[in-house]
Amino acid sequence: MIRLDNVTKVYEGGTVAANDVSLDIQKGEFVFLVGASGSGKSTLIRLMLRDEPVTRGKIWVAGKDITTLPRWKIPYLRRSVGTVFQDYKLLPNKTVRENVAFALEVLGRPQSVIGPQVDQVLELVDLADKAARYPRQLSGGEQQRVSVARSFVNRPPIMLCDEPTGNLDPRTSVGIMKLLDRINRTGTTIVMATHDHAIVDAMKRRVVALEGGRMVRDDETGGYEGVREPEPEALMEEVPDE
Amino acid sequence: MSRVIFLLKEAMISLRRNILIVIGAILAVFISLSLALGALVVNEILRLNTIAWQEGVHVIAFLNDEGENGVPLGAHEQLRTEIETWDEVESARYWDKQQAWQEYQELFAGQEELLDINPDILPASIRIELTDIDLHSNVRFRLEQQTVSVRQVATAAESIEQLQSLSSVLNVLGLGMAIVLGVAAVVLIANTIRLAIYARRDEVSIMKLVGASNWFIRIPFLLEGMIEGLVGAALAVFAVWLGTSNLARAGESFALFRLDVSQAFFFRWGLLFLVFGAVAGIIGSMLGLSKYLRDADGTGPDVPTGF
Repeated sequence: MIRLDNVTKVYEGGTVAANDVSLDIQKGEFVFLVGASGSGKSTLIRLMLRDEPVTRGKIWVAGKDITTLPRWKIPYLRRSVGTVFQDYKLLPNKTVRENVAFALEVLGRPQSVIGPQVDQVLELVDLADKAARYPRQLSGGEQQRVSVARSFVNRPPIMLCDEPTGNLDPRTSVGIMKLLDRINRTGTTIVMATHDHAIVDAMKRRVVALEGGRMVRDDETGGYEGVREPEPEALMEEVPDE
Repeated sequence: MSRVIFLLKEAMISLRRNILIVIGAILAVFISLSLALGALVVNEILRLNTIAWQEGVHVIAFLNDEGENGVPLGAHEQLRTEIETWDEVESARYWDKQQAWQEYQELFAGQEELLDINPDILPASIRIELTDIDLHSNVRFRLEQQTVSVRQVATAAESIEQLQSLSSVLNVLGLGMAIVLGVAAVVLIANTIRLAIYARRDEVSIMKLVGASNWFIRIPFLLEGMIEGLVGAALAVFAVWLGTSNLARAGESFALFRLDVSQAFFFRWGLLFLVFGAVAGIIGSMLGLSKYLRDADGTGPDVPTGF
């Protein structure tokens, strides 16, 4: 479903965010990208969305080489990839229902299709009773569920999630993970960047660990352990006093 | 169909949300186009009057009375016949003292003190239409040679020439002003659209995220610019039309100068200005959008950094 071949990304200024990463993700898989901040997790997600061009290497998404995709075709790629971000990215002046429907409206779906599809997905994320509320009237977890609903309403074969539980407490995070797990069981391939130990350990799914842009581990059903993160004490010494 | 409704809805939301900026853009278009159309109207008035003057009498030879000061009886008609044979002359009409008095009464109707004169002091005249207005000085010279019959020569030619040169200056000025103000309108709309995009940048980035095509993102902004241009142009056409018709009504009392610009003129130019307003709006939007969407193409939606 997703294949990365020797992908390297060097940002302007010389920061190497991905260094010769090769990865093969099958249809229906649930893959965690783990690593410390700056390890290159988010960059890989952005590369798979063609939000950034690769410096070297190839990326195939749903059978298409997206590194050579002409600019005008990028929207079509994004229609087959749902995305969930840490900051939800909801429109504050639209209700829950309108936010979810927005994803179908921009694709030009008729209202007769949008209505039932939005109802169904709001049912799935358990927010049918809050459809008329605005994002500011919802908790963080509920807002993230709206975001998941929006990315899944179009039934994309792939979902890319970048720290979806980053702003949530552990209990709420579990709720979001259960939701993503249910979506994954419908056959949707999910790639999720996270540094939430507990979640990765509990889910027992494939774990790809990154360190300084390099892939250091790819376990079929791994845990978070083994990811080298500096100890807080060491960091305190590294960071100079103000 | 639902797509069209969605795009229109998005344009309307944006117009409503940025109402102050939108009013600013509409006013800018209104002012620029009013001035440009106003210049055209002034030009049209001058043209109408030039034509009216050109079509009328060009030279008037006021005559000494027959039977006095050595003017023989029948000299007037003889002179008129002679004048008509001149190459420069299209036609020559005799205007006797009676007609002169009638015209005088019409011209100064209501001004009793001016009407209280002896009709006999008004001279008879020959009213001459030229084949070419530029020949007026020749004709004036030839008439002035007729010292016995001709008392005085009056010609409208100088005024016509002045009017013509004023008209051509105004033509250039009007065109220049229309171009400058047209560009100003486009730039102001571009600015408005850029502000509108900035105000809706989150929405635009989310639209890109869920796979909206660039055209789909552009259309509401293009519609917004077009509506601003159209409304501004419509207001300008209406205001200038209203101003001109009021002026024409007020000007009815001094019939010497025509102010009645035809409805056909307004229809023709009004339509053209509406099209210009809409096109200026679309061009302005495109300019406003180009930079933003080009940038957005490169970096895509604003996903959190921190790889």
